[in-house]
Amino acid sequence: MTPPPDDAYVLRPATPQDLPDLERMAEAAAVGITTLPADRQALLDRLERSQQAFGTADDASGEEIYHFVLEDTAAGRVVGTSGIAASAGFADRFYSYRNEMVVHASAALGQSNRIHTLHLCHDLTGHTLLTSFYIEPAYAHTAAPQLLSRGRLLFIAQFAERFADRIAAESPGLADDAGRCPFWDAVGRRFFDRDYPTIEQLAGGRSKAFIAEMMPHSPIYVPLLPEAAQWAIGQLHPQAELPFSILLDEGFDTETYVDIFDGGPTVDARLAMLRTVRRSIVARAHASLPDEGARGDAGRWLIATTDRATFRATLAPADRRADGLHIDDAAHVRLGLRLGMRQGTGPAAEVRAAPLRDDEEMPR
Amino acid sequence: MTILHWPADGDPGLAGWTLETSPLPEDAGAPAGLRLTLRDGDGALLATAALQPRAGLNTPRHWFHVGQTVHAAPDLGLFKVQRTLLLGSDLCGGAELHALDVGGLAALEAPVRRRALVWLTDTAALQVSQEPEVWGPGLFCELPGLRSAEGGPEGDPDGPATLEHSPFWRGLPAHFFRGDPADAAARLGPGWRTHLAALLPRQLIHASFLSDAAQAAVGVERPDARWVREALEGSGWTWRQQVRIDDGGPVLQR
Repeated sequence: MTPPPDDAYVLRPATPQDLPDLERMAEAAAVGITTLPADRQALLDRLERSQQAFGTADDASGEEIYHFVLEDTAAGRVVGTSGIAASAGFADRFYSYRNEMVVHASAALGQSNRIHTLHLCHDLTGHTLLTSFYIEPAYAHTAAPQLLSRGRLLFIAQFAERFADRIAAESPGLADDAGRCPFWDAVGRRFFDRDYPTIEQLAGGRSKAFIAEMMPHSPIYVPLLPEAAQWAIGQLHPQAELPFSILLDEGFDTETYVDIFDGGPTVDARLAMLRTVRRSIVARAHASLPDEGARGDAGRWLIATTDRATFRATLAPADRRADGLHIDDAAHVRLGLRLGMRQGTGPAAEVRAAPLRDDEEMPR
Repeated sequence: MTILHWPADGDPGLAGWTLETSPLPEDAGAPAGLRLTLRDGDGALLATAALQPRAGLNTPRHWFHVGQTVHAAPDLGLFKVQRTLLLGSDLCGGAELHALDVGGLAALEAPVRRRALVWLTDTAALQVSQEPEVWGPGLFCELPGLRSAEGGPEGDPDGPATLEHSPFWRGLPAHFFRGDPADAAARLGPGWRTHLAALLPRQLIHASFLSDAAQAAVGVERPDARWVREALEGSGWTWRQQVRIDDGGPVLQR
């Protein structure tokens, strides 16, 4: 299948009507790849909660989850999904392992050994969590994943009062097709005698904090783990490389935390330090064709609307000029901006946008 | 120096045996201890031991305390009892019966060697209980742990170290120590374990992270010390969940 042109994508809030597409994606994802429950009713509940979160006029409580879907408008279908949990571990605790090094030294023995330890912690409780990333494989090498992942950051930046100023994201760790996971087998399994898929079923969509209650609260000395488990700490499931690389480019820290179940990396960052957020601008959108020179990657922007309930984000060529951002008619249509605005007869709509590519040197 | 004689109305198997207690030379500022020497009627050496007052106060000593945690999630039918190991110096300050060499008794009949050993250890315990301000609040004695899957080789566990096949050593300390423990023990003497402790985990360890063989070796004495443990436990000594940090051998207390 030839990938469609990049300018056909729209990121929008998921609705209960998207249930069949989300079911399809939840099934296509390998064990542990997304936080999408494979159960129809659980999915529907999430979609309804998400719809409520997008639409509500109430202040945020932190309980909200936001589910997005990515549409390929050229093909007329949903090809990906992503989500945000406003506050990790809301009303409970969010557990992670924090990597720490301790040095055990003896002058008499002439030894000084750096010992890697994992500390069960609640550091990321209350952070905003990026979740549920899934893109159809045919779109992996297009710009669609950029929109699907980073569009969320534009949303968070735009509605910052509904989110924490720190962002985290879990990535699945190493596991085989049957769900066997070397880190779980060496750590969690010793406290449960069950394999990981079974535990996930037992948890049944509940907060996994109860699992952590069964885990040792003293640090884990990594040298005591089997080699396969040591190696799996902070290692990604191969299918997670794409969304992870996007987060890496954003400037997330990948070194500090790992998932307590599969050992996959949990990244974190200050929202304000993320590349898309730092480079994002709020500007008036004007309808005009950008210069030919802006047609390449360098001139392409992630562009999002600034109304929560009707949120849309898309990719389009754009010119940044003194009076705002100039984008073409098609992009206006994809963003659902009204005709009057397009023709300059009404007040120009406000958008939040960030360059798709950014060669600016960023501190890492 | 005092010499005790086996009472005439005692077990005739020990008739004529003597137990000699003599002061040990003071060692680098540490308070002086006693040497106990057991001989038969012909003067042949059967067993020796040393009694050290206030052990581990000049040079810290370490043991693992074997504990337990229980994790439960009743609504899921999950219930898990876990053994734990915690490095500590719980026994420091007490008197230690060490350098226990009972090789001369091993070949004797079980009741005889048992009575002889208890004579020696009771004598040591009496010293401690009569002068607790000199010796310390209690008495402990380390027994050698397993030095191979089969148990051996026999001999002084603090002598030239023979740890490389010890299941406990391989399961825990070996992950935190580089090189050959025999070299370190030869260079630093029995006190080398004080330095080893500096390299070991300070936080609670769940035993289930250790190999099955290492878990099975926690608090288990070497086979040739089994009768010693039985004799001690039959005469007022108990194992209170303390083990050696190198081979997991039990530490008995009274």
